[in-house]
Amino acid sequence: MVKGDAKPILKPFESIEIERITTVIEEARKDLLVMYNYEKHIHLESSLSSLEIIATLLLRYVKRSADPVNRDWLILSKGHAAPALYAVLAELGIIPKSELVKINSINSMLQNHPEVAVPGVDIATGSLAQGLSIGVGIAAWIKRVGGGGRVYVIIGDGEQDEGQVWEAITHAAALRLDNLIVVVDWNGHQLDGSVKDIKPKDYIPFVWKAIGWKVLWANGHNITSLIIAVEEALESDKPTVIFAQTSKRGSRVSATNNDVS
Amino acid sequence: MNGYKSFREELGKLLVDVGEKAENVVVVTADVGKSTRAIMFGEKFKDRYFNVGIAEQHMIGFAAGLAVAGAIPVVTGFATFIMRGWEQIRNSVARMNLNVKIVATHAGYSDHADGASHQALEDIALMRALPNIVVVVPADVADLRRCFEKLVLKHKGPVYIRLGRDYAPSITEDIEYDYEIGRAYVIREGHDVAIMSAGVVLYEALRAAEDLAKLGISASVINVLNVKPIDVEAIVSIAKKTGRIVVVEEHMVFGGIGSAIAEVLAQKYPVLMRIIGASTFGRSAKSHEELLSYYGLDRKSIAKTVLEVIRNRA
Repeated sequence: MVKGDAKPILKPFESIEIERITTVIEEARKDLLVMYNYEKHIHLESSLSSLEIIATLLLRYVKRSADPVNRDWLILSKGHAAPALYAVLAELGIIPKSELVKINSINSMLQNHPEVAVPGVDIATGSLAQGLSIGVGIAAWIKRVGGGGRVYVIIGDGEQDEGQVWEAITHAAALRLDNLIVVVDWNGHQLDGSVKDIKPKDYIPFVWKAIGWKVLWANGHNITSLIIAVEEALESDKPTVIFAQTSKRGSRVSATNNDVS
Repeated sequence: MNGYKSFREELGKLLVDVGEKAENVVVVTADVGKSTRAIMFGEKFKDRYFNVGIAEQHMIGFAAGLAVAGAIPVVTGFATFIMRGWEQIRNSVARMNLNVKIVATHAGYSDHADGASHQALEDIALMRALPNIVVVVPADVADLRRCFEKLVLKHKGPVYIRLGRDYAPSITEDIEYDYEIGRAYVIREGHDVAIMSAGVVLYEALRAAEDLAKLGISASVINVLNVKPIDVEAIVSIAKKTGRIVVVEEHMVFGGIGSAIAEVLAQKYPVLMRIIGASTFGRSAKSHEELLSYYGLDRKSIAKTVLEVIRNRA
């Protein structure tokens, strides 16, 4: 993972940034557990599994502005991890922290899957694979008009059972979308159980590679590992996928109930 | 003269027109650029033309992304296979109210040779069920010309335009009206009965009204090209005037234009009503017209049903 040249991945002052991301993650993790106390229908485990990925991308990489082609986009294609996104947005002050525990209440802006009415939510998702195609469309138009924006899409491992994923990534490869970075939350679980029991996916990274994507690996609960991978993705001249190995229990939380819909 | 013009030839020209007028118009297709004539746009504006391959679900999501980033994507494909991306239209387009224009060609029986797999008879029902989306079924090439630029460049939001393939007998060529979203247009006045229709079968409805006139029956004919939102006011006022409505549609009688009109009338002003349309899958034939006759959507069958409705009330 660490390249052989002498260039450091992080500049010295950037360790401060890592501390900041760590703090946000710790607080957001607490928020998630509090949210779960109030609302058992949130997909807690999927949220914990994506938390570091979401926080690292949002805090370090995703730059927003009013110009759609000169800003970055974060698409949570695995929309059921929305609570993690909300918790990070709340820690960043983009949505009120008091709103978190109201999730799924009839008058709350926060629903179990992201809607664009929520500040900080770029794309409404909830139906698997669709965020990925939308990301390909955004990245394609940005490139076509020479914009500087990048598109980050977070998908799940089970999500790749959807045929649309393959329709989307073959197209992205054909368009050579070097401004598109997909992070796979590789947690080994899908709704009905373990990925290996339902439909083994060990071959999947090879398929991405064969299609023409740059394929990287990271520890999805380790900020530095994620940063190293994303920094390498930013240098890529083709679309990049980062398989971020995670656990549905997140990095520190003990057992919770399975979050079955 | 009955200008036998083609929907898809006209579509190709109109795509080029809107492409010239706005440089953020983009055409997206799923490997049917030649069949839909979208390729005419592609030849002129190479870098604004995307053939996503044979991948309709992704095509819809991809177009949603283009719209988010500021383009005006016009998605072209066969109506049947656009239905394959219906859930994407629901969740990726309609839910965010995105400015995606879907032009579905080869609808109804128009792809006569290809048979049931290619003949879309359910698409209006599916699209009509979605919030935010505007559903338009132009009668002929003139009608398409009238509405196209407005729907693509002026209206902000998702649109579904349903077209046939080539067979497009002229109906509205000599009629003058400005297209407005949500309006129905009376193309023949009458007081005994109103025949409401859209698409190429409007031509058969008009011919049926002419035949009925010879029998002393005064039939009004309405072009209900705006299926959603539908012209509630016009439908109710015509129902009040004629007391009898016959709907003719090149679509299943379940959930289509007839259903849309019945929803209005059942709640606002119930009158005697019949819906003429499909109740099963299509099949291959030598021409589009042959299929319209075979499935009872020709002038003769329409006139027969209208007569039954009139007798029922007389």
